[in-house]
Amino acid sequence: MSAIIQAFKDADLRKKIFFTIAMIVLYRIGAQIPSPGVDYATISGRLRDLTQDQSSVYSLINLFSGGALLQLSIFAIGIMPYITASIIVQLLTVVIPHFEELKKEGQSGQAKMMQYTRYLTVALALLQSSGIVALADREQLLGAGIRVLSADRNFFDLIVLVITMTAGAVLVMWMGELITEKGVGNGMSLLIFAGIATRLPTDGMNILGNSGGVVFAVVLASVLILVIGVVFVEQGQRRIPVQYAKRMVGRRQYGGSSTYLPLKVNQAGVIPVIFASSLIYMPVLITQIVNSGSLEVSDNWWQRNIIAHLQTPSSWQYIVLYFALTIFFSYFYVSVQYDPAEQAENMKKYGGFIPGIRPGRPTAEYLGFVMNRLLFVGSLYLAVIAVLPNIMLDLGVDAGSAGATPFGGTAILILVSVALTTVKQIESQLLQSNYEGLLK
Amino acid sequence: MAGFDWFWKALGGKSGRNQKRSVAIVNQVENHAAELDALDDVALAQRAKDLASGGRIDNHAEFLAILGVASQRTLGLKPYPVQSQAVLRLIEGDVVHMATGEGKTLVGAMAATGLGLMGKRVHSITVNDYLAVRDAEWMRPLVEFFGLSVASISEKMDAGERRQAYKAAIVYGPVNEIGFDVLRDQLITRREDAVQHGADVAIIDEADSVLVDEALVPLVLAGNQPGHAPRGKITDVVRSLKENDDYTIDDDRRNVFLTDKGAAKLEQQLGISSLYDDEHVGSTLVQVNLALHAQALLIRDIHYIVRDSKVLLIDASRGRVADLQRWPDGLQAAVEAKEGLAVSEGGKILDTITLQALIGRYPMACGMTGTAVEATDQLRTFYDLHVSVIERNHPLKRFDEADRIYATMAEKNRAIIDEIALLHSTGQPVLVGTHDVAESEELATALRELNIEVSVLNAKNDAEEAQIIAEAGDIGRVTVSTQMAGRGTDIRLGGADEADYDEVVKLGGLAVIGTARHRSQRLDNQLRGRAGRQGDPGLSLFFVSLDDDVVVSGGSGESVSAQPDATGLIDSDRIRDWVGHCQRVTEGQLLEIHSQSWNYNKLLADQRVIIDERRERLLDTALAWEELAQHAPARAAELEDLDQSVREQAARDIMLYHLDYNWSEHLALMDDVRESIHLRAIARETPLDEYHRIAVREFKDLAQRAVDDAVSTFKSVTIDHEGAHLDDEGLARPSATWTYMVSDNPLAGSGNSVISGIGNIFR
Repeated sequence: MSAIIQAFKDADLRKKIFFTIAMIVLYRIGAQIPSPGVDYATISGRLRDLTQDQSSVYSLINLFSGGALLQLSIFAIGIMPYITASIIVQLLTVVIPHFEELKKEGQSGQAKMMQYTRYLTVALALLQSSGIVALADREQLLGAGIRVLSADRNFFDLIVLVITMTAGAVLVMWMGELITEKGVGNGMSLLIFAGIATRLPTDGMNILGNSGGVVFAVVLASVLILVIGVVFVEQGQRRIPVQYAKRMVGRRQYGGSSTYLPLKVNQAGVIPVIFASSLIYMPVLITQIVNSGSLEVSDNWWQRNIIAHLQTPSSWQYIVLYFALTIFFSYFYVSVQYDPAEQAENMKKYGGFIPGIRPGRPTAEYLGFVMNRLLFVGSLYLAVIAVLPNIMLDLGVDAGSAGATPFGGTAILILVSVALTTVKQIESQLLQSNYEGLLK
Repeated sequence: MAGFDWFWKALGGKSGRNQKRSVAIVNQVENHAAELDALDDVALAQRAKDLASGGRIDNHAEFLAILGVASQRTLGLKPYPVQSQAVLRLIEGDVVHMATGEGKTLVGAMAATGLGLMGKRVHSITVNDYLAVRDAEWMRPLVEFFGLSVASISEKMDAGERRQAYKAAIVYGPVNEIGFDVLRDQLITRREDAVQHGADVAIIDEADSVLVDEALVPLVLAGNQPGHAPRGKITDVVRSLKENDDYTIDDDRRNVFLTDKGAAKLEQQLGISSLYDDEHVGSTLVQVNLALHAQALLIRDIHYIVRDSKVLLIDASRGRVADLQRWPDGLQAAVEAKEGLAVSEGGKILDTITLQALIGRYPMACGMTGTAVEATDQLRTFYDLHVSVIERNHPLKRFDEADRIYATMAEKNRAIIDEIALLHSTGQPVLVGTHDVAESEELATALRELNIEVSVLNAKNDAEEAQIIAEAGDIGRVTVSTQMAGRGTDIRLGGADEADYDEVVKLGGLAVIGTARHRSQRLDNQLRGRAGRQGDPGLSLFFVSLDDDVVVSGGSGESVSAQPDATGLIDSDRIRDWVGHCQRVTEGQLLEIHSQSWNYNKLLADQRVIIDERRERLLDTALAWEELAQHAPARAAELEDLDQSVREQAARDIMLYHLDYNWSEHLALMDDVRESIHLRAIARETPLDEYHRIAVREFKDLAQRAVDDAVSTFKSVTIDHEGAHLDDEGLARPSATWTYMVSDNPLAGSGNSVISGIGNIFR
């Protein structure tokens, strides 16, 4: 608590924090402003009634945008295109030689890649908003046959809608960058954070309304335990001592406790969960698009044995699949992100050693061994967190759009890790500006 | 960043407006000249003093005119309008971009005089001793015309002479001497021992090389400590290892490591079970690594020379022997062992300061250089300095030929020699810029075999080099130089006296040949800039081979295909683009290293400031005594009968000793932490933040520890009328201090940029 007060006492930091808050407020205001041509009365009425829409293909995106998507507000597609674009550009650096060259050119190359990311964001935003507007136009967005756009719309109105949402996405991107640059924390993460956090009260009310006070209290208590657990595990590290044996002994005794190679228990972060849930949605999404012409649900093998389960997050089949996929992607993602052989090679190159272990292959094997053991625990943890809300559903807790409720594991994971990083950053800035009084 | 283009443009617009205003002012200068010519010396000087009284100049045009007239009367040099413009920009705190031969020295002196008249104390910072002394003597009449004093600092001066010199209003000094004086002043225990007296303005000559190229070179002040040289046995065993078999060297030749086979061989011969177990990792392995580094990566006559049984480093960026430089952390001793010389004592680092931090101490900085534009970004980001471009007095008539690219080093070298011979046969003077001493020697030998007389400039003394380079523009001269040797001296066509000027002009002026591209285009331009001064004709031409360092390290891991002709020449725009790309990569790497180090050094620099303040207070007040008496009242009471000043000085000595000691320990610790901090990125932590966290935590302890240590010393040490006998406690300050610059620290590899990923969004 005193740290927060201190943070506000520091003029520079105070300015940064206020700037960040102002940006988030602006973002939230924008997320409430309906786009032109949207039948706001219908939408807000319908959204209130919307209790069970588990199969909504957009639920994750909707979660990230803080509910702006289904309201068709000007920030409907929000930060998603930017995230997608930056992931794509990062991946392209591995594939396209030109991007690889740019990456090597350092800052000027980075600036150029940033530029490409922005162009791609605009393109993706156009694509996504067109998709959403098309869905809304065909009255499919909030369930079949529900009109969300004003009745007398023409083609021109639809174009205005698309342009508005695209412009909104670009504006959100800029706000995110501004936060990163002039505020505290990572802008993109904070905007997602804000989006998720704002849904907490509504979804809480939903649970209270639909499942009663006792269940609500239980949920609150378990969420609290969950948050504590997540904070605990997220901070968990295995610290492997490392020595840089290029300098003479004599000062070893000081640096010892600070020179280590940290491996996180949850080395993969939240990405595997996002991958897994996207993969589960994929068949549903495709089927929905294929079937979008007809209003009645067709009845065939595919629909009965696959889609039915994938559309029911509370079914055990869904839970098992989700669980398995999350574990798979944890291993997959970490193996892509973290290569013990490369790490060992780098350490060797810069004169680093793990005492007692030979450099090169033995070091790589050792690191791989430790990593695998950590991953086993880490991926189980991640998978449990990921399926928790589904189990909650299975037990009869009803929070509205499941799978991506802010009380769910994914959301809590994101909330906690963003909060942790941001607080850490504030703390380190605070340290730097506050220690000055020490010697006076 | 690109989103802020408008912002940078707005900034640019501001300096554009400043430029226009300066031009307008300079245009009026001429109007004042006639009137001022009529005044006698005393009246002229008085007029300038009146104009500059109160610390600001009321009428810039008239002020510049007075400086100009004074320059003509005292030095016989009448400044061109562009020079007056440059003076104005300097006084307003910009870095001016002026081509070689446009009279930077005069501009600097006029600006220094102007600032001196405004009541400011000016340090004119040069790149070496020779230039400091030369410029101070040359410009003395101008400065003294206005009743100001001028002095210069050089390496040979003792503390007393320095203290006297620093009292002058305008002090010319080489950058490292000024830095070392700052460091030494941090170790004094009596105020009267200080040699510097503060300064208000730094005018930096060759601003880009001081502020950018060498900005990260820490100046190090060290005290004696017994050396940890690799034991003779280790040196011998390491000597027997073979490249590629027992050890490998990486592509950019900065790192060397043992193979498994080499490690096994060492273990067998040294009779130990494993080099990598807990016992040996911090001792034997370190020595092996040092010996191996000395053996494999440091080559005699490229990285160092042996003279008078001493290992002397060659400063890579200047290509000359650096007397004051040493390799850090036992490497020096390892090299001495390799050469079979007596192993010198190791040093304990007492304090360090980077040039960047040094310049940061001046409330105002400005400078001049021929290649400022290329460094605009760095100057703005790291120093908040803006660049003003001063037009050439005469338009440039130098011809910059397109690069000649060869497939292999051998073909390139043959082509270089042919080209030099061809140019030389007409009598056109040729200046060849090489990259290291060995290369310059080889080239000179090859040319001499063709009966071409060659002057070689490398790693000798500055004054002699200056004379040779001054003659480099005479008919038939061929001068082979390492980078920037003899800088600060103009190459006039037809020799220093310009006797054969017309003839050389007819031959096409000076031809500059670069034997390879440098790591950044700016350095290329520094070399090119030696030709074509003051509208003279000239030629510049760079040779490149695909084996060049820049190409190899910049294009690592990528391949190009091209069809060379019979002589190995590759005439292809695609390959030229490729070479440009490679250079941009190395340039980007340098910039990355620069900004990384800057970020890491910033906090330490801030902490230094706090230590400085504490020191000042301890030096100037009785604070040390008061604090110690407060913590140890009993001991203080025992000392009551001592003379007050003795008592206070004793307390001061004790306090300062422990403060300095703990600070140097802090530096050593942070150095250690720095090396491994990049590993934190694996856990998706920000290495810089973690570094700061540790630095701040340790710094907190430092303050407490320094006081605690001082109190316990205070209680135990003998204090009599002679003061505190710290020596008896084993707490003597190092008897001899010596200084060095760690240029391009060969041990400071950093894997900072190796870890990155797409997971950043959800960290």
